[in-house]
Amino acid sequence: MSSTLLDPAVAAELPDVLPARKQRGRVAMFAYRHPSIFAGGLLVSLVVASALFAPWLGTADPTALAPAKRLRSPSEIYWFGTDMLGRDIYSRVLYGTRVSLQVGVMVALFASVIGMFIGLTSGFIRVLDTVVMRVMDGLMSIPGILLAIALMALTRGSVGNVIIAITITEIPRVARLVRGVVLSLREQPYVEAAVAAGTRVPKIIWKHILPNTLAPITVQATFICASAMITEATLSFIGAGTPPTIPSWGNIMAEGRALWQVKPFIVLFPAIFLSITVLSINLLGDGLRDALDPRMAKKI
Amino acid sequence: MFAYIVRRVIATIPVVAIVALFIFSLLYFAPGDPAAIIAGDQATPADVERIRASLGLDRPFVVRFVEWSWQVMQGNLGVSIFTNLPVSKMIAQRIEPSLSLMLLTLTFAISVAVPLGVLAAWKHGTWIDRVVMMFAVFFFSVPVFVVGYLLAYTFALQLDWFPVQGYTPFSISDPLPWLRNLVLPAAALGGAFVALIARITRATMLEVLSQDYIRTARAKGVSQRPILFMHALKNAAVPIVTIIGIGFAGLIGGAVVTESVFAIPGVGRLVVDAILRRDYPIIQGVVLMLSFTYVLVNLCVDLLYTLFDPRIRY
Repeated sequence: MSSTLLDPAVAAELPDVLPARKQRGRVAMFAYRHPSIFAGGLLVSLVVASALFAPWLGTADPTALAPAKRLRSPSEIYWFGTDMLGRDIYSRVLYGTRVSLQVGVMVALFASVIGMFIGLTSGFIRVLDTVVMRVMDGLMSIPGILLAIALMALTRGSVGNVIIAITITEIPRVARLVRGVVLSLREQPYVEAAVAAGTRVPKIIWKHILPNTLAPITVQATFICASAMITEATLSFIGAGTPPTIPSWGNIMAEGRALWQVKPFIVLFPAIFLSITVLSINLLGDGLRDALDPRMAKKI
Repeated sequence: MFAYIVRRVIATIPVVAIVALFIFSLLYFAPGDPAAIIAGDQATPADVERIRASLGLDRPFVVRFVEWSWQVMQGNLGVSIFTNLPVSKMIAQRIEPSLSLMLLTLTFAISVAVPLGVLAAWKHGTWIDRVVMMFAVFFFSVPVFVVGYLLAYTFALQLDWFPVQGYTPFSISDPLPWLRNLVLPAAALGGAFVALIARITRATMLEVLSQDYIRTARAKGVSQRPILFMHALKNAAVPIVTIIGIGFAGLIGGAVVTESVFAIPGVGRLVVDAILRRDYPIIQGVVLMLSFTYVLVNLCVDLLYTLFDPRIRY
């Protein structure tokens, strides 16, 4: 019995009990493993592409007035209809993508960098910690949109000012996050070892702390980007955001406000674009969180 | 516990002070010189200077801040530039609709979100769980006013179940018109809040349900419902209550917008109208009042902890 088994000439071919392993392409594999990142990333790239290539996507001048053709319903010529000044809503919505993305990305970038700086300082310099964190608590105690409204009331409406106002409301969140990470990392044996070995503080921050804060900050930045876009639209919608001359999604909706009962499409199209964009960024953020920080993913 | 309460109340004082300082600075740095406005076009620089001195506007920042804080503590929030009425009085006139909207939304959101979150945790990994979570992501991504318009278009314009806009003051004899007016705004405002609470409820419940004492309860034959609602939910209460407190900021911000969509004459409308007129004292007063409300809500949340979790003794 055993001799037949050992004899290579007699050994029967093993039957295929297991089904053949599905061969997936790289893209399909990635999509299978990280569906949220894939779907979110795909949608975000579509939105970014439509913002970049807006002039070549069948748009007209988004600010061109045509009073004779005002309030046309969506048709073959005016895909999304025209507003009360005869401007083509499709063109305005596509160009509005640029404003919204600009606000979202800039706020995410500035808030992350400044928040990271504050968080690192506060986590490492204990004298500053109490004061800085009290100030952050205070800032966080003013509901975000109200703080942005108050800041916008001080200045002229411009895209730059909207970015600054929303950044200020988002900074405390990043600062708290980074500080929390710093405080927990400082207790880690490898950081203690670095301290014991006489590594200077700037090098510890640069080499040991900073790289570990990047994952949670990236995740946080995507959520900040999404929430900044909603805040921008909200500010513009209530008349405290970008100046009405700029076609931003919030402005288009603000203009459609008076007529929404009879011409709901003016509000509807920018709303759909805004919602899909924010949804895809949130999906991307959720996916990134799951991929970058499995422990955090379990919690929420 | 008494010591904890005292400590927690004292801890809010610096936060309140920083909020006040920040909001005072807003008006301090606001463009436009009140003295020059009062003096008029014909005034000489000396006149403007005299009026500024008589108003106390020439004194240093700190002195003015202390004085202003003293006035605020007495309920004096200044006078509206546009209507010349005291800001506190204007806010008081508008408080009822806003309070109604927020309380109704809060009630609605909690009573929908907590069961949803429990359900998602209980049916973890099934399609029910996935639907609840997809719903949560969706409502996180759609701005309040978009939800508002969609609801108003469907249920008010097309189906005619509810009034499109407006507000009816509450009356005990007939609260129905009040409620009918607020159903859609509360649903719109509550969407994101439901999503937030449901998500946290699900996450916390999942954590609690994996604990040993739940397994023990199952082993000794306790049925599903008492396990979920008596054993698990009670222990999941602290994070849920915390997120309700934190989410209150979004509720306040959302109320400002919702009131505009549904033409509810509340505090939110007051501040939106004030922005368009650049009526700084009103903006300052409303932001201050709502921020203090938020701080107060979170203080209450912290004090509630001791009720839900007697182990907390700081």
